[in-house]
Amino acid sequence: MILSRNRRSLGLLKIGLVVASVALFLATALVYVSQTRQQAFLTATIRSSGWVAYQAQLEFVKAQAEFAKLSIVPSAQGLHALMLRLEILRSRLPLLYDSDEGRVLSDVVDTRGPTQIFEARLDQIIDDVARLDPEEGAAAEELKALSAELEPLGEALQTILMQSVAYNQEIFRRERALAQRPGATPLLLLFISGACLAAVLILQSRRDRIRLGEIGEAQAALAAVEENLRAVIQAVPACVVVIDPDTDHVSFFNPSAATLVSPSLDDPAWPRFVKAVRGAAGEPETRRWGALSMGYVRSPGDIVSLRGSVGSVLWERRQQQLIVVVDTSRVRNAELQVMQAAKLATLGEMATAIAHELNQPLAVIKMAVANARRLLEPLPGGEPVAAKLERISAQVDRAKRITDQVRRYGRMPTETLLPFSLRHAVELAAGFVAEQFRAANIALSIETSAPSELLVFGEQTMFEQVIVNVLINARDAYEGQDDGEAARLATDRQGEAGDRESGAGDRESGAGDRESGAGDREVRVSIGLEEGRAVVLVQDNAGGVPPEMLERLFEPFATTKSTEKGTGLGLSLARSVIRDMNGTIVAENRGGGACFAINLPTTQANAAQDAA
Amino acid sequence: MNTARTMLICDDEEELANELGEYFTSLGWRVELSVTAENAIGHLRRGLAPQVLITDLRIGAVDGRQVVAEARALPEALRPAIIIIITGHVMHNVAAADFDSDFLYVKPVDPNDILDDIAAGLAKRATREG
Repeated sequence: MILSRNRRSLGLLKIGLVVASVALFLATALVYVSQTRQQAFLTATIRSSGWVAYQAQLEFVKAQAEFAKLSIVPSAQGLHALMLRLEILRSRLPLLYDSDEGRVLSDVVDTRGPTQIFEARLDQIIDDVARLDPEEGAAAEELKALSAELEPLGEALQTILMQSVAYNQEIFRRERALAQRPGATPLLLLFISGACLAAVLILQSRRDRIRLGEIGEAQAALAAVEENLRAVIQAVPACVVVIDPDTDHVSFFNPSAATLVSPSLDDPAWPRFVKAVRGAAGEPETRRWGALSMGYVRSPGDIVSLRGSVGSVLWERRQQQLIVVVDTSRVRNAELQVMQAAKLATLGEMATAIAHELNQPLAVIKMAVANARRLLEPLPGGEPVAAKLERISAQVDRAKRITDQVRRYGRMPTETLLPFSLRHAVELAAGFVAEQFRAANIALSIETSAPSELLVFGEQTMFEQVIVNVLINARDAYEGQDDGEAARLATDRQGEAGDRESGAGDRESGAGDRESGAGDREVRVSIGLEEGRAVVLVQDNAGGVPPEMLERLFEPFATTKSTEKGTGLGLSLARSVIRDMNGTIVAENRGGGACFAINLPTTQANAAQDAA
Repeated sequence: MNTARTMLICDDEEELANELGEYFTSLGWRVELSVTAENAIGHLRRGLAPQVLITDLRIGAVDGRQVVAEARALPEALRPAIIIIITGHVMHNVAAADFDSDFLYVKPVDPNDILDDIAAGLAKRATREG
């Protein structure tokens, strides 16, 4: 407010000064012109004033000459001429003081006094001359006397002329001096005018300074805002990338984006990233947050989920495209895990409830079978029925195994992780199945490169169960080959009777399997230490897991076994147990069979840290 | 003294109770069936004094442990010699002792196993008392 008032008054002052300066300049010009004119006029007048004195002097000389001529030979004609001369002289005298020129002259020298004295005398002389008779002898003497009487006028005129000349010379000298040195007034005026202009300039510069200050402050404020914005962009955990829409060249990226993609602009990862965004964006403008949802392969096997938007933005004075994405992998994974956990918990509860409910009718069947068997005993020829009862009883046992597995699956994970010797646990588990392996003619070996005191953390019996489970799976894989062959033989027989083509196909695949199973059956368990974590590998050579099964091997109810053997919960339970130990279990096909790899933390700290 | 070869079976699963009853009856046991805890407790209080008590752990809304507690509270002469629990519940690391019973079975169970255990239990008891 004050500033604007100041500015307005400054503006008014400036305008006033400009006007004053212009007016002064004009005045200066006018003064100069008028002075020059006046001077010229004065000079002219002074020159003429000299001329007046000169004329009078000239007429005087002429009159004296006439007197001299007549005093020798007086004549009427001569007298007449003399009178004319004297009258001309008489007419010249008033001009010396009563004309423009004369008045100028009278400022310098007294022209009126000496001249007027002689005016009356001259009139007298003219009258005297008029009365003269040329024929008289005394005429010549009288003329001489009159001439002498006029003599003082000559001196007076001479004095006036001399002074006039001197004055003219003085004027001339001054003029020359003036011509060399310009007038003070115009100079002063010019000086004032210049001063005004200078003041205007000073005011203008001051105003400019003020404005520059304001601009500077505004710029500083802008710079501060820009700095803040830049800091925000740099610090924001989202990936911010600006790309040139014409070339798809990256113009800017923040540290988050550098971490996600690459810290170097030359990295080929950038074009790949931009291409991936382009592909996912589809529509050129997906301003709505989350409209852009994509997966980005950072490196083989490292895929992250990204969510964000793409939009136009004015960047570095050009329309460019702004990509803002957030790595939602963790959130997504966490969501999936929570969902999975909730699903499993529900499934566990449901399974437990089902197991319980199923056990009731199973119990009744079991009792009824026992009673039936007892009733049948005294009757002759009851053997076939007894066999059937035996089968029913066996099936109830099988159903019980399933419900037992389900109940174990639905168990609550233990809170505390207790240390136990990994090698000891593996050896115990191997001991459980050793007899079965011998029976199935499978060589079971345990190799260990880890110390026997190597500890892992969890529930030992459950872990043993896992190893037993994996080993039993390996054993069943070999038996699966046998069963497969038997089944195929049966199919072959059917094929001969009916569909020949499918039978031929089965024979071919059967031949292939026979080749793979032809070698010695061998299951190798190895215990090692990799990067501070314990690794247990269980490798068989039973031909491997079908690829389509490999992916969902650890899912509940996924089984390759015949329904008489597997519940489909063993490996799912195994994964759940290993997970509780903060480890991992994975399966792959290699070396002509399946390989299960269990990875476990070896220190309490790791186990706890992983759990947290 | 409770009567030899007498049994009280308490299970809300009527068919199971019947089958179990039939099994032991055929072997010469005198069996009393109850499908409610109240009924079983009534029998015990009225001085049924069975040699063996077999009860489910969850009988309708009532806890089978109440029946066990009733039986244990009876005077020596009326108290069952052997108390057995049969349950369909999912349990881990539990023992019969946790329920103050002599034997604990998870359904389904083979009645022959129960019979064997009763025989063994009675024999042990006889040895101890004798």
